[in-house]
Amino acid sequence: MPWYLYLALKQLFPTGRRFPFFTAISILGVALGVALLVVSTSVMAGFGHEIRRMIVDTQGDVQVRADGLVADSAGLAATVAKVPGVVASTRFAAGLVQVRFGDKRLYPTLQGVDIEHINGVIPLDSYLRRATLDDLDDDSVFLGIKLYDLLGASIGESIDVFSPMLLDDSRADVVTLPRSLKIRGVLEIGHQALDESTLLVTMRTMQDIYKLGGATKGLNLKLADNEDPDAAARRINAVLPPGVHAASWLTNNQDFLSILQLEKNMIFILLLFIVIVAGFSVTSSLLISVVRKTREIGLLGALGANPRQVAACFCFQGLIIGLGGTVAGLALGLGTLHYRNAIITVFTKLTASREAMDRFYQFSQLPSWTTTSDLVLIVSCSVVISTLAGLLPAWRAAKLKPVEALRSE
Amino acid sequence: MLRASGLKKSYLSGDRRIEVLGGVDLAVMAGESVCIRGESGSGKSTLLNLLAGLDAPDEGLVEWEGTEATADRRARHLGMVFQSFYLIPELDALQNVLMAARMLGVPGAAERKRAAELLARVGLAERTSHLPNQLSGGERQRVAVARALMNAPRLVLADEPTGNLDERTGDAVVDLLLGVCRETGTALVLVTHNAAHAAKAGRALFLHGGRFA
Repeated sequence: MPWYLYLALKQLFPTGRRFPFFTAISILGVALGVALLVVSTSVMAGFGHEIRRMIVDTQGDVQVRADGLVADSAGLAATVAKVPGVVASTRFAAGLVQVRFGDKRLYPTLQGVDIEHINGVIPLDSYLRRATLDDLDDDSVFLGIKLYDLLGASIGESIDVFSPMLLDDSRADVVTLPRSLKIRGVLEIGHQALDESTLLVTMRTMQDIYKLGGATKGLNLKLADNEDPDAAARRINAVLPPGVHAASWLTNNQDFLSILQLEKNMIFILLLFIVIVAGFSVTSSLLISVVRKTREIGLLGALGANPRQVAACFCFQGLIIGLGGTVAGLALGLGTLHYRNAIITVFTKLTASREAMDRFYQFSQLPSWTTTSDLVLIVSCSVVISTLAGLLPAWRAAKLKPVEALRSE
Repeated sequence: MLRASGLKKSYLSGDRRIEVLGGVDLAVMAGESVCIRGESGSGKSTLLNLLAGLDAPDEGLVEWEGTEATADRRARHLGMVFQSFYLIPELDALQNVLMAARMLGVPGAAERKRAAELLARVGLAERTSHLPNQLSGGERQRVAVARALMNAPRLVLADEPTGNLDERTGDAVVDLLLGVCRETGTALVLVTHNAAHAAKAGRALFLHGGRFA
């Protein structure tokens, strides 16, 4: 290896010294910054990933809606089934209702399930607890697990469901009784808001309660793997009749997804300042090193080193600290992510804040999603910042004239 | 081998310009040992720095075998020994000696063998893995001598190499330097205050008022 790289390594890890303190502190500073970046971007990406998964799992890849109601869902399904990339469709209808159990009243969203086709689009069975989809009939209901807890009901008990259509009936002096439905199971999506507000019934029951007749609100579509949802939506729109529109889950949730990405980017930029501060600490350490080693720098000149090689020696020290800090930071960050739920459990136990965490952060487990692109960005930023941190000391060292450096006290 | 002609050098001290060298001529032949004596501040170290190409003269010219002194040529053809040893504290004795070879490329087995032999020649065969802070002043200077000879230079410039040593150790170091240079046919320019050391060199010069007396 070239002498300047050799000497850079020796100055950071001197022969015969077991623990190079200054090097360790510099590496630790970079490592902490990198670890925080890895943890925060992964957790933010995890929230985003969970939300995206939840959206797709509850709405499908593409949603087809009419300006009003869709009277011929079967015909519409047959039309979109011919579009390349569409692998399955299911009818959907949803609306707010009032639920009464004993003296408790809540206002969840009632969703009609197309039992024959739903599992082709939405993996409903994987969210069901203590029941299967076959248990759902026209007189029964599945409750979101939090809604189930809030009502304090039990499987097998009945709840009353009041539709907003009752208001229309009362204006016409017609008395309509609420629909009594037996609880057959619970579903746990893992997202607090949905688990508190979801009520699943068969499509016929939904149509009956909302007086839809045979109509639905539209179709949820499942696309083939790796199919671009926006491109598929454009192809579907080309075959849809007037007044019916297809939109991908990306388009339907564009603002929300933009906010998620913006939040992730902001956190990345803010935490990057920790690496920048660590970089300044590396600069400071190396500047002190240049001052301490002034006479050695003079000696290197006497041995035949040119200023560029002397500069490279200090630049490499910044780079080595950056690489060491980045590797240590990645290990620390990925290790923390691996044990994140155990850490959160201990933290929430110590602070008695489990319930608040669940309510505020919506997810029952702290999600994490580490992408290669995020890691590449973090590693690049860390290594570049650390190398830049070595530039000023390198410039100072290169500027020293050997004669003056040798004479320095 | 080394030719310096009309070397002038002055420094600014406040508003005053102090002339250190006022036109020095010097020629050193291959294998020759030359001693330069002089009072403190007479310009001995300045002259040595100019001869090494570490500093540029205000006027005059330094040539090594007919060409100008450069950093690369310094690494290949010149060895230097200083009063303050200037060993790299993070490297052991062998690594310090090998540092001179590293300036020319990655040292191989031959260079390692030569470094070990040089350390043995200066009496430090048992101390190759010792760090500078584990060596005495005389031992450090001997490591510096071995380093100066590592690349088999044509010329060694020694700037008061006994200045930080006691008399007996200083004598030993000068004898070693002169002996090794004589054995290897290396030219030596030795700057010293010590008349006894000067007497051991092939030629002695006295620098006074920026000129050879």
